[in-house]
Amino acid sequence: MTATAPGADGPAVAVASLYQEFLVTRQTGRAVRDGIERLIAGRRGEALAVLDFRDVAVIDFSCADEVVAKLVLGTEVEPTVPGARFVLVRGVREHHLDPVEGALRRRGLAVAAERATGEPILLGEFAPESGTVWLELCRRGRVLATDLADGLGIDPDACGRILEDLLRRRLVRRCKETWESLMFTASCSTGSDRGEPDPEGPTSKGE
Amino acid sequence: MSRVIDVPEVLDHRGFEELVESLATVAAEDVERILFNAKHVRWVSPYGLIGLLAAGRVARDRTGLAPRIEAPDNREVRSYWERMDFWQAAHQVFDLEPGSTRPHSSSDALLEITPIRSHHDVHAVVERVRERSASILENRLHYPKPSVIQFSVMLSEVCQNIIEHAEADGWVCAQTYNFRERLGREVLMLAVMDVGVGFQGSLASEHARRFGEEWSSATALEAALLFGESRFRDPGRGQGLQAIRRQVGRWDGMLAIRSGDAQIAIVPDWEEYPSLQRGLAEFPGAQILVVMPAREEGAAR
Repeated sequence: MTATAPGADGPAVAVASLYQEFLVTRQTGRAVRDGIERLIAGRRGEALAVLDFRDVAVIDFSCADEVVAKLVLGTEVEPTVPGARFVLVRGVREHHLDPVEGALRRRGLAVAAERATGEPILLGEFAPESGTVWLELCRRGRVLATDLADGLGIDPDACGRILEDLLRRRLVRRCKETWESLMFTASCSTGSDRGEPDPEGPTSKGE
Repeated sequence: MSRVIDVPEVLDHRGFEELVESLATVAAEDVERILFNAKHVRWVSPYGLIGLLAAGRVARDRTGLAPRIEAPDNREVRSYWERMDFWQAAHQVFDLEPGSTRPHSSSDALLEITPIRSHHDVHAVVERVRERSASILENRLHYPKPSVIQFSVMLSEVCQNIIEHAEADGWVCAQTYNFRERLGREVLMLAVMDVGVGFQGSLASEHARRFGEEWSSATALEAALLFGESRFRDPGRGQGLQAIRRQVGRWDGMLAIRSGDAQIAIVPDWEEYPSLQRGLAEFPGAQILVVMPAREEGAAR
């Protein structure tokens, strides 16, 4: 796992490469989540945790709940609380979808994700119009709300409300007047490359 | 006073019920030691095999003495028990003669009898079956490639049920065999058992009051399997069994969960089996059976 310092207006990005083939059992999930939370806990400003699923061959529902759903649950705090936390899941493949989406939906949550092919995908529970706005933002990377509304042909106020809701759910980031996707945020960070496996960290097996 | 319990000749999930009924009569008697007479067993399923271990454990708990067991006369059945590592597991349950655990040649089982005591065991089981399940599911049962991962997920969830809820150890095993009589096709049978607190005991603190006098093993099983209830208030809990139910349904398979004096089942068209049974002979813990039939050639994926 690696972490980088924040850029001029960007958050610290912690990349957690899950070097385990088998993400199974709640205990394993708890250990992985604890490691990620420790990594971002000490940061004062915003932080983005990037979970890299490229090496994960099997993830079960219990582990998905512990690693992804509970990590996302921890990010949904009041907007007034400083130091927002964001989660981005990368390297998602077809067999990850059922457990991860199942775990998120049980809690009414959603997470920003990127398939192994690089295509953005919003996982979990969300309204269709939120999904449309989120996808368009991913396509553009960073954009003004009015430009996004123009591009989608929707009312700017409605677009603004959807973006605010996506922000409340930590699925997008606001940077002064502009909005950005978490993929854009991660790609702007110099530390978004894969981290080395940490035998003491969440990449290690078991507790 | 000693007591002999005859193990049914066909020891599958139906035979296990006979075994449990025999064992229930023991509880009422003043019995010192039990002998399980398995000499006449001529066929056994994975469910029946770990069911025998569970019955032995219950007998030991009730009498305070490790029961004895007579091995089957039938050479093929004996050989199967050895290949499934029955005697290794039986050492923890029965009063066996020293040296009764014999080494065996390589097994064709998907998963030999494996004790489940911690999440490390679950990891080991999931990792161990990966290669074997790929060959069996794809080549023999004609399942699509993703089913190998889906089976691993199901195996993990069903084994975790023991760790998270049973408050006791358990066993798992899996094997394919030809289900000619009923289906005319091969099936994969997965069996997982424990003799812990059972569904009623596990869910009682959180749900018993809501059900009042209706609260029973049957209502606990329905709450868990059909409505995803768990003993935890956390909404993320209870999804494992729901996921298993969905997956078994997609495979046109059968899922049966026995606990206490009840059994609930998701029954496919090819099987005749009650979807809910009450008033069975009381047996502790949970006993889970999954049957996955081979896909017919050309079946839609």
